[in-house]
Amino acid sequence: MFKDSVITARRKRRELAVALVCFGLAVLINVYSIIRFNCPWSEFFTQIGFVILLAACIYAVLAAVRLAVHAVVSIVRRCRG
Amino acid sequence: MKDEKLIDRRSFLSRLGGIGLAGAALSAFPWMESCSPSRNDATSGAKVRLGIIGTGSRGRYLMSFLKDIPQASVVALCDIYGPNLELGAEMFPDARRYTEYRRLLEDRDVDAVVIATPLDRHFRMVMDALDSGRDVYCEKSMAYHIDECRQMYMKRKSTGRILFIGQQRLFDPKYHKAMESIVRGDFGPVVNVRNYWFRNADWRRPVPSPELERLINWRLYREYSRGLMTELACHQLQNGTWATGMLPVKVMGAGDIIYWKDGREVFDNVCVIYTFPNGVNMTFESVISNAHFGMGEQILCKDATIDLPGSRIFRETPPAKSGMEQLIAQIEKGVFSNSVFAGTSWNAETASADRGEAIMPEAEGDGTREILQAFCNSCITGKMPPRILEEAYYSSVLGILGDEAILQGKTLYMEEGFII
Repeated sequence: MFKDSVITARRKRRELAVALVCFGLAVLINVYSIIRFNCPWSEFFTQIGFVILLAACIYAVLAAVRLAVHAVVSIVRRCRG
Repeated sequence: MKDEKLIDRRSFLSRLGGIGLAGAALSAFPWMESCSPSRNDATSGAKVRLGIIGTGSRGRYLMSFLKDIPQASVVALCDIYGPNLELGAEMFPDARRYTEYRRLLEDRDVDAVVIATPLDRHFRMVMDALDSGRDVYCEKSMAYHIDECRQMYMKRKSTGRILFIGQQRLFDPKYHKAMESIVRGDFGPVVNVRNYWFRNADWRRPVPSPELERLINWRLYREYSRGLMTELACHQLQNGTWATGMLPVKVMGAGDIIYWKDGREVFDNVCVIYTFPNGVNMTFESVISNAHFGMGEQILCKDATIDLPGSRIFRETPPAKSGMEQLIAQIEKGVFSNSVFAGTSWNAETASADRGEAIMPEAEGDGTREILQAFCNSCITGKMPPRILEEAYYSSVLGILGDEAILQGKTLYMEEGFII
């Protein structure tokens, strides 16, 4: 019923890259909000918890989108094939 | 107020001891010396033998604290109502029992008395107890009439005995911490003082037979009590004098029986305004047919509002949130707020949604244990703490004046003769 699944090195590299992009995006949002609301630059570090949480949220949203795209592509391929 | 500034009761009291009971804190609360750790140490091993006059619900509440105070020994109980005397005896089975307070005062083993009887009895009992050479702790309010309060004050002075009135807020660390900042001017000048006490209950106690109605429900009858103004307001009115450092110069008010028309004689709703010399107003409002707002004591300063029982500060300009939180709030507002096609010409000033900052989250109790501890220590040392009786006197006078202003339908003034 259950099959062993293999996570390839390529997949791991890709997920790490996606996670890093999400983290970078969250950092950029933090920088934007510091500038936008005239907050102290110390928030670049003090808000790191918020940044990680935001990065995780973005990653989760991206994952949902990617899964949906993958499902649609699979269905289309199956229909054609 | 940052977290590192928050302290609990134990460390607060220890700090008072540690700084030699000097400094701003003690100049604002000089009576706290009487229950400082050093004073407790100085009186350890000694006992004050107490007689309790009035073992009703309030008397037994006080007795529950006295059980745990090492310097207190309850040796005699007195109550004219048998069931209450029995309940008191269950707490202190070895104590001698009396049904007449003068017999208790003749008991040579009694050093001091705790009086928790109806308001109209306070004056005679306190005077007799002081005359008999006993130290006295009497429940608030001090007495039914201003002149009686004054006579009690003078009697204490002439006899040199100890006289405490049960204004436990004077010993509540939450109030001290807040008042210390207010008096220092940390939040700007005091601009208003709001006190309110809302309940939704008839304020009655169950009566086993009709002839006991007035004896048990004495708070509802003018012969014994002034109702809300002497049983509730006197606790809160000291907040204004404490925060402003002044006495009100005039008082006006209104009151009536609007809901509990059950034969009672005291008001079931009152609204009283006291005005200080600088024009600042203090209000006391009480309704016992709606409990929504509960009990509140708020000092409104120019830069902050201090909720005393809730022990929180609400700044007029709350500390700014982080950029991320502001961004999220802005996005939320953009997504969830209603679209406005035409601006209104008038907007209601809605209350601030700020949750405020805790003043003393670890504080426990309401000061009752501390005031009883201070009383026992004072009985043992023979030293009357400074200002404590004056604070109680003026809060009682203000309560009585408020009730008189309602009854007479006039603005009453703080007369020269009321000043001690």
